[in-house]
Amino acid sequence: MAPTNQVLIKESSNVRTIILNRPKQLNALSLEMISRLSEVFHLYEEDPNVKLIIMKGEGRAFCAGGDVSAVVNDINKGSWKLGANFFSKEFALNYFLATYTKPQVSLLRGIVMGGGAGVSIHGRFRVVTDNTVFAMPETALGLFPDVGASYYLSRLHGFFGEYVGLTGARLDGAEMLACGLATHFVPLEKLSLLEDALCKANSGDPKIISNIINKFSNKNPKLKEKSQYFRLKTIDRCFSRRTVEEIISALEKEADKNMDDWISWTIQSLKKASPTSLKISLRSIREGRLQGVGQCLTREYRMVCTVMRGEFSRDFFEGCRALLLDKDKNPKWKPSKLELVSNDMVDRYFAALDDKDWEDLKLPARSNLPSYAISKL
Amino acid sequence: MDRVSFRTQVLTRHLNNHHSTSTDLLHPATCLSYSPPELWEQPPDYDTKSLRKLLDRDSMEEIDYMFNLMIQSNLFCRRERGGKVFILPDFNQSMEQQREMTMRRIGYLREQGVFDGWLTRKGPDAELSGFTRANSCGVFDHSFGIKLGVHFFLWGGAIQFMGTKRHHDKWLKPTETYEVIGCFAMTELGHGSNVRGIETVTRYDASTGEFIINTPCESAQKYWIGGAANHATHAVVFSQLEIDGANQGVHAFIAQIRDKDGNMCQNVRIADCGHKIGLNGVDNGRIWFDNVRIPRENLLNSVADVSPEGQYLSAIKDPLQRFAAFMAPLTSGRVTIAASSMNTTKKGLATAVRYSLSRRAFSMKPNEPEVLLLDYPSHQRRLLPLIAKTYALSFASEYLKTIYVKRTPESIKTVHVVSSALKATLTWHSMRTLQDCREACGGQGLKTENHVGQLKSEYDVQLTFEGDNNVLMQQVSKALFMEFLAAKKRGKPIKGLGLEHLNKPSPIIPSNLTSSNLRTTQFQTDIFCLRERDLLHRFVTEVSQRQAQGESKEHIFTVTYQIAEDLGRAFSDRLVLQTFLDVEATVPAGSLKNVLALMRSMYTTIVMEEDLSFLRYGYLSTGNAAVVRKEVMRLCSELRPHALPLVSSFGIPDALLGPVGFDWIDANAWSSV
Repeated sequence: MAPTNQVLIKESSNVRTIILNRPKQLNALSLEMISRLSEVFHLYEEDPNVKLIIMKGEGRAFCAGGDVSAVVNDINKGSWKLGANFFSKEFALNYFLATYTKPQVSLLRGIVMGGGAGVSIHGRFRVVTDNTVFAMPETALGLFPDVGASYYLSRLHGFFGEYVGLTGARLDGAEMLACGLATHFVPLEKLSLLEDALCKANSGDPKIISNIINKFSNKNPKLKEKSQYFRLKTIDRCFSRRTVEEIISALEKEADKNMDDWISWTIQSLKKASPTSLKISLRSIREGRLQGVGQCLTREYRMVCTVMRGEFSRDFFEGCRALLLDKDKNPKWKPSKLELVSNDMVDRYFAALDDKDWEDLKLPARSNLPSYAISKL
Repeated sequence: MDRVSFRTQVLTRHLNNHHSTSTDLLHPATCLSYSPPELWEQPPDYDTKSLRKLLDRDSMEEIDYMFNLMIQSNLFCRRERGGKVFILPDFNQSMEQQREMTMRRIGYLREQGVFDGWLTRKGPDAELSGFTRANSCGVFDHSFGIKLGVHFFLWGGAIQFMGTKRHHDKWLKPTETYEVIGCFAMTELGHGSNVRGIETVTRYDASTGEFIINTPCESAQKYWIGGAANHATHAVVFSQLEIDGANQGVHAFIAQIRDKDGNMCQNVRIADCGHKIGLNGVDNGRIWFDNVRIPRENLLNSVADVSPEGQYLSAIKDPLQRFAAFMAPLTSGRVTIAASSMNTTKKGLATAVRYSLSRRAFSMKPNEPEVLLLDYPSHQRRLLPLIAKTYALSFASEYLKTIYVKRTPESIKTVHVVSSALKATLTWHSMRTLQDCREACGGQGLKTENHVGQLKSEYDVQLTFEGDNNVLMQQVSKALFMEFLAAKKRGKPIKGLGLEHLNKPSPIIPSNLTSSNLRTTQFQTDIFCLRERDLLHRFVTEVSQRQAQGESKEHIFTVTYQIAEDLGRAFSDRLVLQTFLDVEATVPAGSLKNVLALMRSMYTTIVMEEDLSFLRYGYLSTGNAAVVRKEVMRLCSELRPHALPLVSSFGIPDALLGPVGFDWIDANAWSSV
């Protein structure tokens, strides 16, 4: 493939710095970028001259996600299979990163959402900073937390993963560090110094890398006064419930006792999200908790193809219309209510697609899967 | 604090455990390394989830929900080994600490609303969901499952089934919320399986309208009462009921034994049963009643009642029948034990099989890599038949659950016989499997954290509680005998319990068996039916001959135990085969159906190889027995490629298996010390 300027690469002896370079689109991942990333990551794994990979974004954001409006465009012009193709490439990359043998340090400045999380959270070191904003906002878009989120969200403390995945809650750097999505917090002004130090050290030894990051780190960044992280007990109590309906009613009971901005925001965000999305997302995270990252991505691929095909619900297209294209922020979900989404309908998203050309996700073969690659968080 | 320690954990994991030291080029590493069997075992050509669905049916999602709840809470002793999270009770805690942990885990589930509706919702689905919840807890820890089982199935079940509306209204809701903590005081020091012989006595005092429960002698002390030693506030007490000096047989009463602050009630003495070989998270206790007075309404009166004036009232005149009607609903205990024994078996097997797919021993030639344990035919013979048998018995366990929750007054007898037979067969299989798995894990099997060894002592009690296995099997044969006689008396074909094949001519077994014979459902069904039929005839003949010689029935049943036990097993094996065939019939032709057929053949062949009755009574000639033995080896090698997907489809999450089933090298690395 011809080199693209959407992904830039800086070489400094044994360190490669990958820069996502589509700043106007907040570095949203295009198919071109995904292909290029797969290519270089494969290359670097084989290349004995590469010891460490640093990943960052150009401009204000690290990466705002997969370029879904392009995907929707493709689907509208052609077939849902174009969308399936995009996701199969993206998920295969996610798996490759999750099982990568060389350390990846992601410098998460600004927005890290959806697909952006998929190319960073699976990596070994996730460095956040003062202006980091993380979210998996898919349920508001008629999609579900994908890119392996059912793996890493389900491995967060208690039922925080369900909370983040269903509500699309935004986490700042300190919250990400606290919950384990990030491994280090480095103040904004030290971020480029850290990058230089890593290049200078020129080492692939995780211990050395960790020591260097630690030198620039703030070990105990202060959580803001109203941080949702202080609400863990309530989150666990409510988001541990078996169904979305029960989660909402548990939240409403909490609200009766003690209404505040956070709880009303939480309830509102669940009520605004696509009912189908909520149900499949919850089930996905619950199943993910018992599965390896490969199984998670395979399952998510079935789900995302079912969503793209739009046979049971076209919420994804409606969500994209309302939030990305027309921007009226008023999606009309169908089915419109949680109780109209039956278990049978949910089941369909988890089954292999009934289509003769369709295949389950093909994960890249990993010949020497290190144990840490099986579980990172 | 929580937050800080969690973050520290995350960081240390990154620093320590996953650290692969840079290789020194001068000394290339010669160490063994772990590679997950998933990498090079051939992936199955069927959907493992569909296979799991045959085992867990519609409960799959609820089971996983329960696992999710446990894995996400620190109360379940999360620990990291080899880069993965495992949960396992801390058996190094004292008995008292383990009991406290069991209660705290129950408190956690209660807060999540897990118990809502357990007793107050009605219908088959509600009952199934109760089984699912208790059994899922039992996958984590037998004590946890049993402690819930005692409270909901025994105490709650007694109130539901033996009580009437007044009891339901008063007790069921507070039981769900744990305002009332129940126990089930049936067994005494002097009487266990023989409930009718218990010695506790209850009399009625018409002047105050109260019953008076008394423990007349030491052998009448209530014994092994789960929950009694520390936590229970109330007990269902089984006792002889004496009205005006006449014994009306065993009845059940509700007695409060502690107040809500945990102080013992007046005239109740409680002592601890002490440390046990397993199940130390359950507080088994002993209870003495010193003329304890309880209100008249506390008699569980579904079958019989006492009027305020002290008159005994019952719709069923025969005390024996009354007792049977009264005890019938308590079959649920055997249903859960059967199901939970399968979970344990799955845990042990999945761990041992995974280990045998990553551990090597001895090379065939010098400088060759060592051989994988499961590539040794002898190791295959140890583990693979157990997998097939576990599938067969799990299908039977699901069948038992179904007939239990759909029971009708007409089917109660079938449920009783089937639950007795399967409880015995499944728990015996479970103990035997755990022993084999322990040995198959070698020294690693001895480590508590690898589960298999510990499970043996945790689950040994299954063979005894809710009816000693041998006693149950004899009861099964007795029931078959009665059915046979009754049909004969009526002059009608025999019906029910799957005995209809007795009405047909006796099947013929080929004199020279071949491998392909052995794999047909026709042959398998024939020989299992032949064995059951012949043993039943022999049993009937022996009993009638002895009766003709004037021996008493009671005596006859005690001396014919050998054939009775053979018959019990024959009944159970034939029933299991039938349920297997029923499951198979629901699967469309294809690779999944093929692997099921392979397992069915393994199951039937191994039963023929291992149960001596086939040779003893000549269903197999010595020549045919040799063919069977050869076939076992062939089946083992055919089943070998399926080993990993078959144990994965058990559906036990990695976190609940032994770490030895995963990266056991990393789990034992110096960095993890």
